[in-house]
Formats: sequence, structure tokens, C-alpha cells
Amino acid sequence: MHTLFAPKHGVELWLYIAGSLVIGAGLLLLLCQTPQRLRKPVIAFVTFLGGLYFTLEFLIPHDNYFTHVMPEVVNAEIVVSCFTLFIGIYNLFGVHGRAIRRKQPGWYNSVAFFAAFFLIASAGFIKDMRPDSAATPLFEILFNGFMNSLQSTTFSLIAFYIVSAAYRAFRIRNSESVLMMITAMIIMLGLVPLGSALTSFIPANSFFSFLRLEKLSYFILLLPNMAVQRAIAFGVGVGSMAMGLRIWLSLERGSFFDEEL
Amino acid sequence: MNLKKLQNIDKRILYILLAIVIVTPLFVRPSKHPDAVFDEVQNAFNTIDNMPDDKVAFVSIVWGPGTIAENRPQTEVLMRHLFMKHKKFVVLSWDMPGTKLSYDVGKALEEELGMEYGKDWCHLGYRPAYVAMISRAMGEDFQKQFAEDYNNKPLKEMPLPAKIKSAKDIGIVIDITPSATMGTWLAYFCGPYNVPIVTCPTAVMSAEAYPYLDSGQVSGMLNGVIGASMYETLIGRGNTRTEAAATAWSLSCAHIYIILLIVLGNIGYIAAGKKAKR
Repeated sequence: MHTLFAPKHGVELWLYIAGSLVIGAGLLLLLCQTPQRLRKPVIAFVTFLGGLYFTLEFLIPHDNYFTHVMPEVVNAEIVVSCFTLFIGIYNLFGVHGRAIRRKQPGWYNSVAFFAAFFLIASAGFIKDMRPDSAATPLFEILFNGFMNSLQSTTFSLIAFYIVSAAYRAFRIRNSESVLMMITAMIIMLGLVPLGSALTSFIPANSFFSFLRLEKLSYFILLLPNMAVQRAIAFGVGVGSMAMGLRIWLSLERGSFFDEEL
Repeated sequence: MNLKKLQNIDKRILYILLAIVIVTPLFVRPSKHPDAVFDEVQNAFNTIDNMPDDKVAFVSIVWGPGTIAENRPQTEVLMRHLFMKHKKFVVLSWDMPGTKLSYDVGKALEEELGMEYGKDWCHLGYRPAYVAMISRAMGEDFQKQFAEDYNNKPLKEMPLPAKIKSAKDIGIVIDITPSATMGTWLAYFCGPYNVPIVTCPTAVMSAEAYPYLDSGQVSGMLNGVIGASMYETLIGRGNTRTEAAATAWSLSCAHIYIILLIVLGNIGYIAAGKKAKR
């Protein structure tokens, strides 16, 4: 079993990838061809087996048979999770390909998607195979200059939304909003150096030192916040257990579970 | 002056001022670090500092370009501390772009401090299946799980990763993350194998860690980039122009700017209310 999951290189690696793809695609095809009334029980059975393994591994005292095969199970899980990557790519190709074919508004963005996808993917593959080739600096430019900067920029837009939302929505309409605003201000000021410097004139060892902003914010974080976080953690824990059981036993209902494949 | 107008300042003005407030400290790059050091940051420092020399620190990278402003300074300062104290460490990324970003941080520090890859540190590359990997697989047979490093070099050929057999060889887990991954480490690895953990979340996620800090399950925390800049003070870089210090100033200015806007908006709101009553 270990030989099967040991690292592969060169032609052997590509053969393993091709083999995994063929087997995976074959299994998926087989599942699609299965009559609908049988499909759900098959999925439920496989889900149950997967859940059963992890349940037994954790419930039976440590160092049992299941523990020893865990590395192989994890490797198998990695292979399965890689298939989700293909599903993602398939979806993206479908959506953007349709946009270009139908010349939908903004179709040129879809062209940019395909160009970026193939450019960075091929640069990445060539870089790995031939590190001394021109693909390495090209990959650096695409990664650091484009992808990295674009992702950071997208995330940083949140700052502008926060400013706009805080300015327009934070109004002292009632006592609760006053309480919330005061708490937010203490935390925001107390956790940054410039804010805590505002009350640094209060001697740290004096009786009034509790009025220093960093101490007030710490008080809020360590008492009211901690109580709330613990309550949330208990709620989330119980909810997760219930949800886990429902998924494991295929009892879950909803758009993802009731729709036919 | 019509105070009522204060609640309807043009959005474009707000955005331009915000950009100026954030960008200015990043260009000026002040060297001043926070005077105070939070207890959780001090505890993180002590835990890493006291890690036995025969053990290896495991640095878990969950961040990518989206939270680079907070998580990269944390990664940089922690790796620097580990290098300075000659503590060995391995890095593993659970985020695809974060793999290269964290490798670059380690490589830059390795060159700056004259360290040796494979002997002082090692990058294990990217792995999916986060929960399954942490739960037992990694702790039971490290070599079986990680056969090669970031550069596809077998671990057995490098002295540092070759000696890691199981969780017993790991002295501390350092989780640098933008999300709530600390709970997974606690439940599946640090708890069962009794390995201390230092968590480094983004500031917005740090509130979740306080119950675990209080219970002692988490040994220390670097809360966002402020925590990273405090940590720099602890390792003797309190007067150096660093990315962490500049970002901490940027964040400070942005917080004060937001508070000023909230106050102005409310002055306008109150003024409008009084006018309406009249």
C-alpha cells in the first residue's frame, strides 16, 4: 500500500495521474449510469463507510489498526479532494466559455480568464519541469505581479466598505447602539499603539490606571467577550455534532442533498 | 456652519482620505514600535524561546495574498526569532499561494542570517485535506506523510526533516492563519499529543482565541500585525524600520480615522434631529 502512495517522478508520475483520472472518471460515469433509485443508497453507503472509519479510529483507544492505515487514508482523501479541483475548473470553463460564445456583456473578462488560466498553468508546469527555463521568471511575474497583487487588492477593498458602512450606519439611535459604539471605540483604540497613547498620561501603577484604553479594552476582551465566545463555542459544537451526524447518516435534506444528479 | 451636512460627506472624499491615511505610514515607514506588549504576545515569545533544542517547531501556514498585510509580518518575525535562537523548524502550507509566499519569507531570512536550508529549516510545500492530515496522520508517521519538500527533494536526504519521526519530535505548533484553524489543531493534534500551540490569527479573528488562552490550551498569541510589531520589540527590533511597524501605524491611523468619521456622522445626526424637532 505504501508503495502505491510513495512519491513518483517523471513518466511514472504522469502515468499515475492519467490512471487516477481514468479510474476516477470511470467511477463517476458508472455512478451517473446507475439507476436513480440506486444512486442515493450507493452514495449514502460510501459516506457512511467514510464516517465510520474516522469514528472508529477516534473511539477505539489509541494505536489501533485504523491508526496505522491513517496515512494511506489521508493520501486517498487528498486524491479525492483533488477531483474537486477538476470540478471547479470544469465549472469555470463552462461559465466563461458560454459567456464568450454568446457574446454576453463583459465577455472580454472571460477571455482574460482563459488567457490568465493557461498562461500561469503552463508557466507553472514548465517551471517545475525545467527550472532554468524562461518560464521561471515569467511565473514570478505572473505570481507576484498579478495574482498576489490582485488578491491583496480585492481583499483590501473591504477597508473602503467598512469605512463607508461605519460612517453611515453607526448612529446613536438608542441606548444599545450607544453601548455598542462605546465598546467598539474602546476596543479599536485600545488595541492600536496610537490609540492607547491617548491615555498614556495616566500612570500605569496608579489607582486610575484601569482607565487606560489598553486596560479597558483588555477588560472587555477577557470578560464579556470571553463569556460570549464560550457560549458561541458550545452552541457551534453541539450544532456541528448534529450536522455531522446528519451528513454521516445521509439524513440531511436541502438543495444539495435532494436534487438528483 | 450647517452641522447637518456632516452626516452626508461625499463617499469619494471618504475613500481618498482613507487611502491617504493607510498609505502614508507605509511610505514613511516609522521605526517606532508599540510601547506596551500584550501578555499573550509575551507568552508566545516565552513558549518559543523555551522550546527544547532537540525538538522541531512546526509552522503551519494557512494564509494567502488576501491577508498578507497581517500574516506575512507575523511569519517573518517568528521565523526570525527561531533562526536567531537556532531553533529548528519546518513549514507546511495549507494554502496554495501561501506556499510560495512563506517559502520566499524563509529563503530571504535564511540568506540574511546565514542559515542553511535542510539543516536549520525546511519547507514541506502544500498539502490539502487539512483536518485529516492533522488528525493522527502527521503525528503517527511523519515520514510516510511527507516524503518530499517544497523542491521535491526527499526528506531523508536532509538532516532536519529526516529526524522527525512523529509528534514526539515536534516541540511547538505555530499556526499562522486568517481563519479559525486553531480549534482543529487543538482537537486533533496539540491536545492528543500534548504539544503547545501559539496561534497567530488576523486581528479580526483574535477575539475567538481568548477562551483558549484563558484555559491554557493555547500558549500564546500574536494578534494581527500589532502582535507582530510587539513581538519585534521582544526580539530586539523595536527601533528598526520594519513592515510590521509600518503596517501597525497604518492600522492605528485607519482606526482613528474611522472613529473620527463615526463621531462626525453622529454630530450631523444629532444636529439634524434637533433641527427636525424645532
